[in-house]
This record gives sequence, structure tokens and C-alpha cells, in this order.
Amino acid sequence: MFLAIIRMALTSLKVNKLRTLLSMLGIVIGVGAVIAIISIGSSAQQDVTREIETLGSNIIWVSPSWNLSSADREELFTMEVAAELEALSPSVAQVVPEKTSGGRLTYQGESVDTTIVGTTPGYATINLYQPVAGRFLDQTDIEDLRNTVVLGSDMADEFFSGEEAVGERITISYNNRRSRFTVIGVMEDKGQVFAGNLDAQVYIPITTHLARMSTTNDIDTIYAEGAANAPAAQARQQVDYFFYRYLGDSDDYSIFSQDQILQVLDEVSTTLTLMLGGIAAISLLVGGIGIMNIMLVSVTERTREIGIRKALGAKKRHILAQFLFEALSLSGFGGIIGIGLGWLATYFVTDLGGWEMVVSPIAVGLAFGFALIIGIFFGLYPAIKAARLDPVDSLSYE
Amino acid sequence: MIVVEDLRKVYKNGEIEVEALKGVSFTIEDGEFVSIMGPSGSGKSTMMHVLGCLHQATSGKYFLDGEDIGTLNDNQLAIIRNEKVGFIFQQFNLLARSSALRNVALPLVYRGMKRSQRQEKSRIMLEKVGLGHRLDHWPNELSGGQKQRVAIARALVNDPSLLLADEPTGNLDTKTGKDIMKIFLELHDQGHTVVLVTHEPHIAEYAERIIHLRDGEIEKDEQINTSKAEALRQD
Ligand SMILES: Nc1ncnc2c1ncn2[C@@H]1O[C@H](COP(=O)(O)OP(=O)(O)OP(=O)(O)O)[C@@H](O)[C@H]1O
Ligand SMILES: [Mg+2]
Repeated sequence: MFLAIIRMALTSLKVNKLRTLLSMLGIVIGVGAVIAIISIGSSAQQDVTREIETLGSNIIWVSPSWNLSSADREELFTMEVAAELEALSPSVAQVVPEKTSGGRLTYQGESVDTTIVGTTPGYATINLYQPVAGRFLDQTDIEDLRNTVVLGSDMADEFFSGEEAVGERITISYNNRRSRFTVIGVMEDKGQVFAGNLDAQVYIPITTHLARMSTTNDIDTIYAEGAANAPAAQARQQVDYFFYRYLGDSDDYSIFSQDQILQVLDEVSTTLTLMLGGIAAISLLVGGIGIMNIMLVSVTERTREIGIRKALGAKKRHILAQFLFEALSLSGFGGIIGIGLGWLATYFVTDLGGWEMVVSPIAVGLAFGFALIIGIFFGLYPAIKAARLDPVDSLSYE
Repeated sequence: MIVVEDLRKVYKNGEIEVEALKGVSFTIEDGEFVSIMGPSGSGKSTMMHVLGCLHQATSGKYFLDGEDIGTLNDNQLAIIRNEKVGFIFQQFNLLARSSALRNVALPLVYRGMKRSQRQEKSRIMLEKVGLGHRLDHWPNELSGGQKQRVAIARALVNDPSLLLADEPTGNLDTKTGKDIMKIFLELHDQGHTVVLVTHEPHIAEYAERIIHLRDGEIEKDEQINTSKAEALRQD
């Protein structure tokens, strides 16, 4: 009998195809929107996370605060502190100091203003940054204070545009001081990272930078790479603790870590996705009201049919089941079409963004389940109304 | 067997009360063919709705096959309607979007019968009323007489103890009406209890007994001679 009642419900949906389709529309759009938003959100999130991970492994960076006086800075943020940090923190694999300044490159009469980065060989490893020609700085460059320079890819293009750069000599001027440097390497395209656009910079030994291009001895940033076998949070804690002990005031330095940024990013995008998904879920509610509206009209239109069924022996629960199942079918079919629609939308948007498509099965399950619940919830009132109709009154309904 | 004792039915619409039945008593034996006659508004349809268990009387007693209908709840009334009563209406009251076969099978659905059995039984019923060739037709593809025969097949499919017809020939021409009345006579001859509601004397006279209603009361309850029925049987 249950099957027969289901068949009756489906038949009456089939008879009025256009109306059936229109009444499902709200649910179709609602389910589609929820799935598309959550899936597009997590696809984008996964893409950003992956991008950040390619920037380097688990890096913590520390720099002096703005409120630290230049005298203090000069005294406290030095190469020696960087070395000490590396020696004292077991969860830190290596420490890389960085000193930057604006300078001018000149080669064969052509000049470009750029950022001169003084650093150590570790800079390439922590940024997962590879040379495409020659090599990056090495330990001898540092120890001997050599005038060697490695060019970011944009800088190499600027002066050599595809021709051999390694071995050429280039002039770097800073504060009216001029020195000639030998190009020892050209780096790959890396683009924008947290530290800036790596491609638009040039790299020289930090010792050379401090000796020839700086007026002060302090360094700008200390990068610490967490040991591969230590949890990211542990390395960060050790670095934080080191500087807190060393400076005595957590306001004197600022510390960032990649996992922290990833976490914040994750939180922000999750919140955003949930919020948008929630808004889309409201359209599901609206879809439910649409179903209720159609079902109420349908009950009124079919009053006589209900009367006939009752005269022939239908109990209240048979009528209730029939109309409830109609509403449930509307939301169920609407939900299925909505899943297809959401999947398509996700496919097109992720394709456009060049991201890998992630359709969350949880989002699909939740949206579909919610649609069914809405079908039952909004179908219940019309179905109860139908079941309660008086047989005599409904038989004489014109 | 039907036993009705001092039956009253009062319709209440807010302040206004209409007493449609004002204390009616009669007995109908199994296998009788009875017409209930009376002018418009005399309470014929009300009587039929009570007899068909579509609604409860306001007071008085109604026993159907010994069962006190007045004590039953909605679900129990539905079961009685399903198993013991077959309705035939003036407006046919077929489901417009279902085939003849599905219409006839409907009471069996609510009885919980299996699909194959339902179809088999409904097909046999339709063949009996001469519509074996119209099983898959929709009501709008059938003539008035054919529709009423589908309705009769549907009323009979659960083998009820009481057939209730409210103006069954009201929407039919004289010739077709006669055909339908002939079917009722055949059913009567097979032993069915038939109660026919009509305001047309020439239709009422096919029965063997007429209960005359007026203003909700029995004016006359008479046995009549069956010469007219006999003539139709020979026809
Ligand atoms: N639902 C109702 N509410 C109020 N009064 C009603 C209702 N149904 C019937 N009545 C009244 O009860 C009385 C009997 O009505 P009923 O329909 O039984 O008459 P009838 O003999 O079938 O008439 P007809 O030959 O016109 O069909 C009438 O006065 C009618 O107005
Ligand atoms: Mg009437």
C-alpha cells in the first residue's frame, strides 16, 4: 500500500510537469548555491594553502618593533644574536639574517633602482628558491666579504635579456658609494612572497652589505626555519621565548610564522564560506516556502479528489502520507538537480580560477539533507490540512 | 442489515442550525432494493451520508450489520466505508487523472491488497459491467454511461454489504439511465442490498420499496409492486 501511495504522489507530480518544475526551483537554486559556494570556497582555500606551502617550509620571522629606538636596534638585532638563536633552539634548523636597502644597479650605462638584499646561503633553502644559472651565495662569499651578486629573474631580464649574465660585472651604488660586483648567479621566477617580490631584488653576502652598504650594524629580519621533525608551533614558541628572554619585552619585537598565517587564512576563509553558505541556506528556506505555497494550492484544487479517496476508505494517514510524499519528492528531486547545478557551477568557476576542484561531500550531504528536512517541514502543514478535510464537505466541493 | 432508530442530523453554521433529519427510524433487510425519495432539501443526501458512514448522526442509533456505527472513530469509519459500503454518485466522482482500471482498484489500495491482485480483480469487475475493452481509458475518454459503470465497478470491487447510489441517473439521458438501472436490478437479483436516493418517481419505482422523506421526516414507507422492474428485466 505504501508503494501504491508513493506511486500516486509521483503520478500527480508527473501530470503537472511545469508546476512541479517551478515549485522545485527554489530548492534547486538553494541546494546548488550552498554546494557551489562551499565547494568553490574550499577549492580556493586549498589553492591558497598550497601556494603558501610552496613559499618555503615552516618559517618564522622576527623583526624589531617600530617603537624600538635605532640605538637599541643597532645594539640588539645583530648577526651575533642570529647565531645565538640558532645555537640555543633545538627545534630551529637554521637561522637566516636579512638586511635590505634601496640601491641602484648600473650596467653598461643603464641604471635601475632596486632592493639590495644582504643575506646568507640559507635564504635560498628556506624560500625554496633555485638558481637557473650559476649559483646562489655560498659560505666563502660570506666569510671573505666578496663582491658577488645574485640577480632576481626580473633584474637579469632588465640588463641581460636572455644573454649570459654570470661572470659580468655590475655596479651597485648606495648613498653615493659605488662598488663593482660580479654576477655569480641568476634565480628562477618566484614572484610575490611575504618578504616581497623576490624576482625584483638582488642578493649579496650580508657581510659585504653590512661592511659596504650600511651605516648601521643591525639587521632587519631574522628568519628561522623550524626543524623538519619538530611541530611548527614548538619552533615558534622557542624563537618567541628566546627573544622574550633576550629583550625582556614582547613589545620590542614582532614575530610571525607561516603556520600562524595559514591558520588565520584558514579561519578567515572558513568563516567566509560558512557565512555565504548560510546565506545560501536561507534561499533553501525560501524554496521550502515555495513548496508549501504550491502544496496548499494543490490541496485546495484537489479537495474533491481527497473526498473521493476518503469515501472509498482512505484513512487520514493515507492522505497525509500521499501529500507529504509529494512535498518530499519536490524537495528531493529539486535537491538532486541542485547538486548537479552546484557541481557544474563549481566546475566552471574552479576551471576559470585554474584551481583544483574540491566538491565537499559533506556540503552535498548537508545541502541535500537540509532540502529533505525542508520538504517535510513545509509539506507537513498542507498534508495535515488535506488529511483533516471532511469527506462530505470535500465531496460536494466544486 | 440496516437498523436506524430515531436518527437526527443537525448542521451547525455558527448561530444557524438546520435540522436535516428529525428523528428517522426504519430497517432494511439484506438483499432489499429500497428507494429513498423526496423533494429537494428533504434530507435524502444527508440520509445517504449517514448510511454511508461519511459522517455521524447528531443523535439516534445506526446499526450496520449489527455494528453500532455511532461509537466508531474516524479510522474505524474509514474501514467500514472501505469494506462494507459502495458509493455511486450523480457526478460519477472518478479520479480524472487515473485510468478506469486504477479508479476501480482504488478501494483495494486502501485495503492493502497487492498490486497484481488489485489489477486482476479490477479487470474482472470492469468486464462484469461491460467495460473489458476500456481498462486503460481515462474518464474524459468515456461516455457518461461508461463513467457510471466504472463507478459501479469501483463500488462493487470490495464486495460491500451495502450499495448506496445518490441520483445515479441524474446526469444521464433516459436510455443510458435505464441501462444503469438494469445493472442495479441485476445486482439486486444477485443478492446485493441497494439503497437508491432520487427525487424522480420513475427511477424510484424500479425498487421494491420506497421511503418518502419530507422536511427530514418519513412521510411514507411503502412496498410497491415490481411490475416496472419486471418490464425492465424483460427488456
Ligand atoms: N453542510 C451543510 N450545512 C448546513 N446545512 C446543510 C448542509 N448540508 C445540507 N444542509 C441542509 O440540510 C437540508 C437537507 O439537505 P440534503 O442535501 O440532505 O437534501 P436533499 O434531499 O439531498 O436535496 P437535493 O434533492 O436538492 O439534493 C437542507 O435544508 C440543506 O440546506
Ligand atoms: Mg441531495
